[in-house]
Amino acid sequence: MERGRLSPLGWAALIFGALLMIAPLLWTILLSLKDNAELVGNSGAALSAPYTLENYAAIFGNDMTMRWLLNSAVVALGTTAGVLVLASLAGYGFARLDFPFRRTLFVIVLLGLAVPSQAIILPQHQLFAWLHLHNSYPGLILPGLIGPFGVFFMTTYMRGIPMELDEAAKLDGASRWTIFWKVILPLTVPAQSTLAVFTFLGTWNDYWWPLISATHSDMYTLTVGLAAAQMNYAQTSGLGFLMAQAVFASIPIFIVYIVFQKQIVSAMAGTAVR
Amino acid sequence: MRKLLIGLAALLALAGCGQGDGRTRIYLQRFFGECGAEFGASTDVAKAEGECGIMTSMINRFNAENPDVRVDVNVVAWPGYPQLTAQMAARDPPDLVTMHAGVISDYAAKGLLEPVEPYLARAGIGADSFTEASRLGVTMAGRIYGLPWDTHGGLWHVNTALFAKAGLMSGGKPVLPTSPEELIAQARQFQERTGKPYLIQSLVGDPAGAARNQYTYMMAQGAAVFPDARRIRLATAEGMRVAAFFRRINEERLGTLNMDTPAAIAAFMNGEGGIYPTGTWMIGSFEKEATTAGRPLYESYAVFPFPRLWGERLEFVGGHAWAVPARERSAKQKDAIARFFKFMAAHNFDWARTGHIPAFRAVLDDPKFKSLPHRADIALLGEIGRPLPSRVRRQSAIEGLVGEEMAAAVTGQKPVEQALRDADRRVNELLGELD
Repeated sequence: MERGRLSPLGWAALIFGALLMIAPLLWTILLSLKDNAELVGNSGAALSAPYTLENYAAIFGNDMTMRWLLNSAVVALGTTAGVLVLASLAGYGFARLDFPFRRTLFVIVLLGLAVPSQAIILPQHQLFAWLHLHNSYPGLILPGLIGPFGVFFMTTYMRGIPMELDEAAKLDGASRWTIFWKVILPLTVPAQSTLAVFTFLGTWNDYWWPLISATHSDMYTLTVGLAAAQMNYAQTSGLGFLMAQAVFASIPIFIVYIVFQKQIVSAMAGTAVR
Repeated sequence: MRKLLIGLAALLALAGCGQGDGRTRIYLQRFFGECGAEFGASTDVAKAEGECGIMTSMINRFNAENPDVRVDVNVVAWPGYPQLTAQMAARDPPDLVTMHAGVISDYAAKGLLEPVEPYLARAGIGADSFTEASRLGVTMAGRIYGLPWDTHGGLWHVNTALFAKAGLMSGGKPVLPTSPEELIAQARQFQERTGKPYLIQSLVGDPAGAARNQYTYMMAQGAAVFPDARRIRLATAEGMRVAAFFRRINEERLGTLNMDTPAAIAAFMNGEGGIYPTGTWMIGSFEKEATTAGRPLYESYAVFPFPRLWGERLEFVGGHAWAVPARERSAKQKDAIARFFKFMAAHNFDWARTGHIPAFRAVLDDPKFKSLPHRADIALLGEIGRPLPSRVRRQSAIEGLVGEEMAAAVTGQKPVEQALRDADRRVNELLGELD
């Protein structure tokens, strides 16, 4: 058998696996295209016509939906940009600079990985209240910038870049900043892309912090806004609307996946970090 | 640059104009979802439908009738308490908030809610105008902490076509049991003649349903479920009697097992059982099925409060209220809140169209209310309904724990006595941790 080509059995297994994976997505889309009342007694009605776009019309009929979409975009992009800047700078420092207590500080950063966000949510909320930052973009973005994972990730990546590059640049008279900005940073693009995708997805899907920090509807992110728009018994009497919301909220994520597919796959396969 | 700054200043000034339109603003926070697409501009309350539609139209109407007041609405994800608690912690709570009666004690005990008697007095609303169930729901230590605007609780939703087939109809009404023995006998008869389960039960992931049964029938027997604010006592003769009885129903396969709420609703709508015990909130959906030709439930639906099986006819209920979180407010804002209370009280009938029981005695007794489908049959809930003692905190969390253990008991996952003792232990540990 030619290397890299699948046998018919392999194809069959692949198609079966793909169908298995895509079935919940298709089911969600079909449910989103059905009248809510029709689904209350029988969710199997999703498999037959008539279909309707009224659930999507209800989402767009809400004046706030586009605002929530914008808020999510601002928060996700702002957090991603901030994490990239901070993680790159910190990663460079830990990986390539020598300074007192470097190892100790790095261990402290790593310990941050072991602290779940729920454990610090109360003092964090109090702090932001004291600073009057709730119901604001900084209030939604700043907590996301505390990213020990990003620092660890960039440090590991930058450690893999040969030190000879720095030395050669120094011989050419480059400053620390020039070395970072013009020599090292361009080499970290694969890692930056991976970190950006993970940070963006994590922030976009975040629910808990926006729920308690953005308590005014004009500052809701999409996850919180769509949850607020649901009726009390959405899973029974509003199933179609609920599924339309799920599809709508997934579209930006879907686009990110399509655009950054290569980076995501390499990140998942562990090839982004050398 | 100068031009840019002047432009920015002009924009800020314009934005400022929008805020200072002379109207008194009150900030209202509610659940029930968002339905702006359908009812965003509606002020015709009588034509609105569903909890969200009626609520949205009512607030629009209030704004229209009170041009000097503007109610800014913040819709939160149900039930909204994580957000409310966060707002209170940040010293930025709303002026009015929807609150379940069972949650009032959590906030009131910490001084986070204002007693509302001054607002009620200004609105001309006397506490004696509330039904017994709603008055008890908002009263804590002699003070009233909210404007009650409905009572909701468990009902027996009945498929009358199947009841007729089972020979359990009399004078056009279903024959419901008046004792445990009668229930078993009727259930057996129903099952023999229809081949279907007498009870459709959502025993999976619905702790509230299992807790409702336990609370209701223990209260009916006169048992003090909470002898004091820090202690529950379910492992009693009365508690054992109730749990053992519902377990017997399941051992004799007289009810469905392994159904969650959506499955149970679908089963009832598709005529797969005689009775579905669930809340007031499902009346609208079932009534719609009952008036749609060709549906299994067509012209075959009736609904009643839980039947009396032991002792007195009482039923555990909850309710919604408008609460006023404690914060500084101007005299005009206080006046606006009082006017909002008056408006909501005057439109309590409109809210009762959702299926919930009115909070006001006058509406409950009003022939207009009783002429709504099935309301004459369920109005009794406003009188026999009893919330848990208002001094008991963490009622929502407690309901979850009790419901889990009761579901384990009635489905046979645990011996009844052990489940009751486990429920007592878990709840008492929770209550013991309160400051």
